[in-house]
Amino acid sequence: MKNKVLSVLLVSAMAVSMLAGCGDSKDTGSNGDSGKKTEQGDDAGDAGQNDVTLKTVSMFGGTDPNVAAYEEINEQFQKDYPYITIEDNSQTSNQDWKAAVAADFAVGNEPDVIQYFTDATANTVLATDKFVTLDEIKAEYPDYAKDITEVALKATANPDGVNRAVPTTGYWEGLFCNKDLFDQYNVALPTDWDSLVTAVETFKENGIIPIACSLNAVPHYWIEYTMLYSAGVDEYQSVPETAPESWVKGLEVIKTLRDMGAFPEDTDTIDDAYAGQLFKDKKAAMQLDGSWYAGGVEDAGNGDTTVVVAFPGVPDQKAEANTIISGMSSGFYITKKAWDDPDKRDAAVKFVMAHTSKEGIQKYWEATGKIQVTAAELDAPSDLSVLGQSAMDLVNSATATALPTDARIGSDPYSVITSSMSQVSVGSASAEDVLNEALALFKELDAQQ
Amino acid sequence: MLYKKKWPLIIFVIPGLLFMLIFLYLPFVENIKNSFYNMTAIIEMPGTKWKFIGLENYRNLFTDPTVRVAIWNSFKMMILTVVFEVGIAFVLAVLVSNIKKFQQVFRTVYFFPVVISATAIGLLFKLFYNYNGGMLNQILEFFGKEPVNWLGPDTAFAMICVPTIWSYIGFYFVIMLTGLSDISDDIYEAASIDGCSKFKQVFHITLPMLKPVFATCVTLAVTGALKVFDLPWVMVPNGAPQGSTHFLGTYMYQQTFGLGNYDYGSTLSLLIVVMGVLVSWIVGFFTKERD
Repeated sequence: MKNKVLSVLLVSAMAVSMLAGCGDSKDTGSNGDSGKKTEQGDDAGDAGQNDVTLKTVSMFGGTDPNVAAYEEINEQFQKDYPYITIEDNSQTSNQDWKAAVAADFAVGNEPDVIQYFTDATANTVLATDKFVTLDEIKAEYPDYAKDITEVALKATANPDGVNRAVPTTGYWEGLFCNKDLFDQYNVALPTDWDSLVTAVETFKENGIIPIACSLNAVPHYWIEYTMLYSAGVDEYQSVPETAPESWVKGLEVIKTLRDMGAFPEDTDTIDDAYAGQLFKDKKAAMQLDGSWYAGGVEDAGNGDTTVVVAFPGVPDQKAEANTIISGMSSGFYITKKAWDDPDKRDAAVKFVMAHTSKEGIQKYWEATGKIQVTAAELDAPSDLSVLGQSAMDLVNSATATALPTDARIGSDPYSVITSSMSQVSVGSASAEDVLNEALALFKELDAQQ
Repeated sequence: MLYKKKWPLIIFVIPGLLFMLIFLYLPFVENIKNSFYNMTAIIEMPGTKWKFIGLENYRNLFTDPTVRVAIWNSFKMMILTVVFEVGIAFVLAVLVSNIKKFQQVFRTVYFFPVVISATAIGLLFKLFYNYNGGMLNQILEFFGKEPVNWLGPDTAFAMICVPTIWSYIGFYFVIMLTGLSDISDDIYEAASIDGCSKFKQVFHITLPMLKPVFATCVTLAVTGALKVFDLPWVMVPNGAPQGSTHFLGTYMYQQTFGLGNYDYGSTLSLLIVVMGVLVSWIVGFFTKERD
């Protein structure tokens, strides 16, 4: 009898301990602050509103300069609407994260609001048909996305031409140059292939790393620009069956640069953050990167010693000088799961409007150094740094713009190219084979969707 | 009969069994199934249908040069772990078991790296090996030498092996030490009286009597070597440089989560399991006690 009682007790204890973790946790604030939620619940009761927990996901995570603006808007939002609790799960966007997002959508665990890609990268989750279109939302909330310009909305339409997401800011990519190093070694800022070669050779001779880049981790910008300049805008923006010669020649420029000693000795093993630090510490003279990188340069106190210029070019280029990669490719979506829930619908709309109003976009713009392309018309900045001014010149003097390759072929096929760049740069893999493999994968995935 | 009624035992066994079934065996079976399909996402998205591709992924295993690199690296790592991890652990255990003072201190000191996370160790060694201002290159520069790219194609594998092996010596050291404590002092005493030196005692008493412990350690070491992932991934992600440091685990991870090639990743994970079982069986065959 004694053993039986003991057995029952132990089994009960085990069952209770196993079930303890299965409770529905509503106590998480945007930063996992459980105490905060309880207080909000009490306030909500006073206001007579139903408590709403909004599951949100964004790409504003890690070291992204947008994180500060995102969290600030969320904090203010919770103060304005105490009955709404944000359960946020923002992370830096990478392949793992995209896979997790796709899995969540497939199994019905999608969030209520997600800030995600609008281009071909979103095809997998778009296929689940779980987003509400902008037209549907605007029919009920006419002020939704009211501050967003037509150009921005057009840029962020999904590949099927339907608008579902509301954008905040866009991006551009350019060649960041440590102007002080260029002055010190009496080198002109690169404007074409020949001046780029001169700059690389001069810096190499003087023990400065010419170009900070991790070919193993983030060779993306070099892939995009060398292909764009080699192929010209039209051919670059096509999705051919097999790799055009111009694309192949473009990627081979990266090998030429590597052979010249343009990249760090350990470019195969360093990560992107470390490459960025080499540039900020003035150990490297140039870095090809996106507008999101500028905030970090400003924070490092280099805003007045750094400039950003258009990609200089490649041998026998087809693209016009000052052609830049720029665009908008992300925005805030509301899922049908939230839309179909009467309490969540209003909360989700309010949440997106808080982030995509003129004030919200202003916060993102300021957090990223006032140099992003914005989805709403903001007042022209008056206190720009040297870097900020050069960024504005870059965008204003652009002769043509193009979206990066992954916007057309999607992230998985594009990863085939990025993951092989290290091998291509030393000649152990053929640029043509790599491009053909990526295009074949795109074709295969496209056929199955 | 120890227990007259079996049902309480069954009740205790069932939760664990269910846990293993749901979180290990079912996914494993699913994994095998996935390897026969062309997966377009980690999960079959509504509105899409995966194409059945039969043995294509298995055929690719034989033609993929990176798989050969990964298998060869994993094989080399197996040998190195047995020789250095188990070997050094044995020497240290014999030495420590022969001292009376501070034995506990040595136990703690040698075991300590085991409790440090592999990520922390990886980052630590990455800093040592750093080309720009890393510890090793600072030493070289102090002596007027040129800095070395320690994680370059020629040296990267060796550089990864150092922390991988070092961090687990303590684990085998503790197992060996426990095994040594089970050998009766009377045997050593009798051998000493017969004139057998301490050195000879190691070969004629310790080694033969530790054979079962060795078998366990070697099995753990070789199967552990097959699963090496975290340290190389932190130090040289994506098999850098140029895929030369891929192990089966890192290549499987890159294919699955880096390139979204889930079906091929499933095939690679099955290969790891099959090799693990095979290697364990071979080790067991060579180390089992024979009459």
